[in-house]
Amino acid sequence: MAESSARRTALFGIVATAAVASLCAALPWLGVSAYLRTLLYYGAYYLALGQAWNLMSGLTGYVSFAHGALAGIGAYAVVIAMNAGLPLWLSLLCAAAATALASLVIGLTSLRLRGTAFTFATLFFQELVLLIVRKLPFVGGPGGIVLEEILPAWLPYLLMLGVAAGATMLLLVIRRTRTGLRILALKDDEAAANAAGINATRLKLILFCVSAAIAGATGAVHGLFASSLFPNVVFAVDLSIVALAVPLIGGAGTASGPVVGALLYVVIREVLQVIAPGMHLTIVGLVLLIVILFLRDGVVVALARAIRHRRALPPALAIGPEPR
Amino acid sequence: MPVLEVKGAHRWFGGIHAVRGVDLTVAEGELVGLFGPNGAGKTTLFNLIAGAVPPMEGGIWLNGREVTRLAAFRRAQLGIARTFQIVRPFRSLTVLENVMASVPSAMAERDNDADDAMAILRTVGLAHRAHDLAGQLTLGMLKRLEVARAFALAPCLLLLDEPLAGLTTAEISELLAVIVSLKSRTSIIMVDHNVRQSLAVCDRAVVLDSGSVIAEGTPAAVRRNPEVVRAYLGEAVTS
Amino acid sequence: MTLALQLIANGLVVGGLLCLVALGLALIFGVMRVVNFAHGEFVTLGAFATYLLVANLHVSPLLGIPLAFALGAVAGAVVQRAIIARTTGRPELDVLMTTYALSIVALGAFSQAFGGDFRSYAEGPTGTLTLSGVTIGWRSLTVLLVCLALGGATVLIMRRARIGIALRALAQNRDAAASCGIDVQRSELFAFSLSVGLAAAAGSLVSLIGTVTPYVGHEWVLDAFVVVVLGGMGSITGAMIAAILLGLVHSVASFVLDDSWAKIVAYLLLYAVLLVRPQGLLGRADG
Repeated sequence: MAESSARRTALFGIVATAAVASLCAALPWLGVSAYLRTLLYYGAYYLALGQAWNLMSGLTGYVSFAHGALAGIGAYAVVIAMNAGLPLWLSLLCAAAATALASLVIGLTSLRLRGTAFTFATLFFQELVLLIVRKLPFVGGPGGIVLEEILPAWLPYLLMLGVAAGATMLLLVIRRTRTGLRILALKDDEAAANAAGINATRLKLILFCVSAAIAGATGAVHGLFASSLFPNVVFAVDLSIVALAVPLIGGAGTASGPVVGALLYVVIREVLQVIAPGMHLTIVGLVLLIVILFLRDGVVVALARAIRHRRALPPALAIGPEPR
Repeated sequence: MPVLEVKGAHRWFGGIHAVRGVDLTVAEGELVGLFGPNGAGKTTLFNLIAGAVPPMEGGIWLNGREVTRLAAFRRAQLGIARTFQIVRPFRSLTVLENVMASVPSAMAERDNDADDAMAILRTVGLAHRAHDLAGQLTLGMLKRLEVARAFALAPCLLLLDEPLAGLTTAEISELLAVIVSLKSRTSIIMVDHNVRQSLAVCDRAVVLDSGSVIAEGTPAAVRRNPEVVRAYLGEAVTS
Repeated sequence: MTLALQLIANGLVVGGLLCLVALGLALIFGVMRVVNFAHGEFVTLGAFATYLLVANLHVSPLLGIPLAFALGAVAGAVVQRAIIARTTGRPELDVLMTTYALSIVALGAFSQAFGGDFRSYAEGPTGTLTLSGVTIGWRSLTVLLVCLALGGATVLIMRRARIGIALRALAQNRDAAASCGIDVQRSELFAFSLSVGLAAAAGSLVSLIGTVTPYVGHEWVLDAFVVVVLGGMGSITGAMIAAILLGLVHSVASFVLDDSWAKIVAYLLLYAVLLVRPQGLLGRADG
């Protein structure tokens, strides 16, 4: 009974995501203003990045501070590939692959361990990448690199919608698969999961690589959008903060959490642009703090809990003694 | 060929010699009861066999294959399943999902689908709670879920760590009946402090004290063994 | 030879500061199992407090050190009580993100209040001391001495004082410590306040030999994290050894290559260590 209702929810989610994405995709041709289109683009950008983070950290509980840097690698990779003459689709693929490969530095060194080793490995990765990129001549050094080809404005817009929608659907589907089940099992109790035959280390590694690839793809599309990249901007820690704040505020581990989070972040950014520019990260930090302390597990989950509370019976009756 | 062979296993934790040169053999289809006072090293021995902790000396063979250095999940995939003394369910998954999360060993033909998992739940009497979150179950039910999850691995060796602790008398008889019924499909080593009931169902008893085996044999022989009585009840009581 | 001694001397100053900052981190993690991502902001607090004191009252920055410590300890107590204590028993992700969110907010507050200017002052010890060919500024020497003093005092407290023993007990086994009558909440409050007090004092020392910006603490604490992971999470001795080591590596690498390469080397070294000995130098094997 519960099985089929959960399946129906997932199906509904997929259809809804596809519908919303299609609608947004059609908007430029429906005469919507460029401002709104840009807002939607950024909404999709933060959503995609947030879902990438969510896929790893939301599902396993292993916090990553590197997703901004991973996106940055994707951005650089796509520009380098395009400048080298590779077609668009291949460049994007290379970007995702390069990012996944880079993520192995973190994954292979720290995912065999439990606890905070992974988190630190990601923290240092962010710094390391910034330092290295500034040093390497073929990636333009501190001056950055520029995409030589000029692309139509709608291209990154559609691509970003695609990545965001795809990542969201992945989150929706994964909970229903056997692998997703085992990932959640390892989040609950890694030792017990190992005892149940689950190769926790390999699962974490694969998941992180996929998460990195998505972050890389997101960064790559944004690289196409921005077209000139400066290392201090691309690899600033700000993006990693956004990558984790969006899902955490909305609800980590859920598919809909980052959607809410991304919407909230876009609104906050726009509002603060007028009132107090430069403060948006600080305000996000404040919101994050409040959410963690008072709205456990994020807006979406807290809301669902509140709704269930209204409708549900008092706990004693809901569970009840086992009939013999 | 015995299902399990442990030879000369040693394990230290800092200054504590938890397991001292333990030899243990388990044959196919046997239910071995592992007894001993608290701190005798029973759980440590389980951890050594299951791979949660590596032995510092000695070796472990499963169906003739050495598994001494294999990781816990590898051993699970080869057929060693275990339950935990303090239950460790996957709380955010449903009861059915808990069983489906187990990765069956090489002995099974394929992964457990929902029907297989339901069948396993029926064996332990939890089928009616299949779609409830594991976090909502009572202790008695969680103990049974532990057994179900371990059994879902299609093991050839099942390690049960105090499966009856904390259960009511009725729950104990029920679970014991389930455990005995599993004997036909897997060998079992069971640790439990409900000595009378456990001795009644096991084929062979092994008694540990301070990390060493002090007695081994049929339940009747072991019960009468003066060493065993002394280990449990102290010097003053020796019949 | 003199060159080597010079490099060692420089390395010890950096190492000493890292030691002070890392000590607090290791202590908080060891006792409370909390990674304090906001630690750097306490360093910044100490740095700015001392700068403001000197710039406005024109007193010796040496007065700033105990002031910074006290300020840090009090601020830490407030933060611990109001925010961190609320997260006990919550999953690791929540606790981690609480201190991280705090650091974002604090950093933003500092940036807003002080802007990105580089600030420094001239008051305080001046001149250099030359011993057997090795030149060390009096400011740097002061830093080294204060680090030694504070570090030594902390180690003494941990080993001899009642509260220190209580903290070590807590670090080893929380429940057992509680059942021995140790007041867990008060001990955690003490541990946190002491740790961030040390961080603030370190910040004060940083203002003596460097420039003060809203990001100053953040930079130092990143290296301190490297130290703590290298030394083994929660191991105070490990953190101290790793701090000296890193200070020396930094000193040599900066001389042979340049500052950026020094950092790259440090990070790569860390990854290599994680690969080969994941628990760090003196950490526990179960992570």
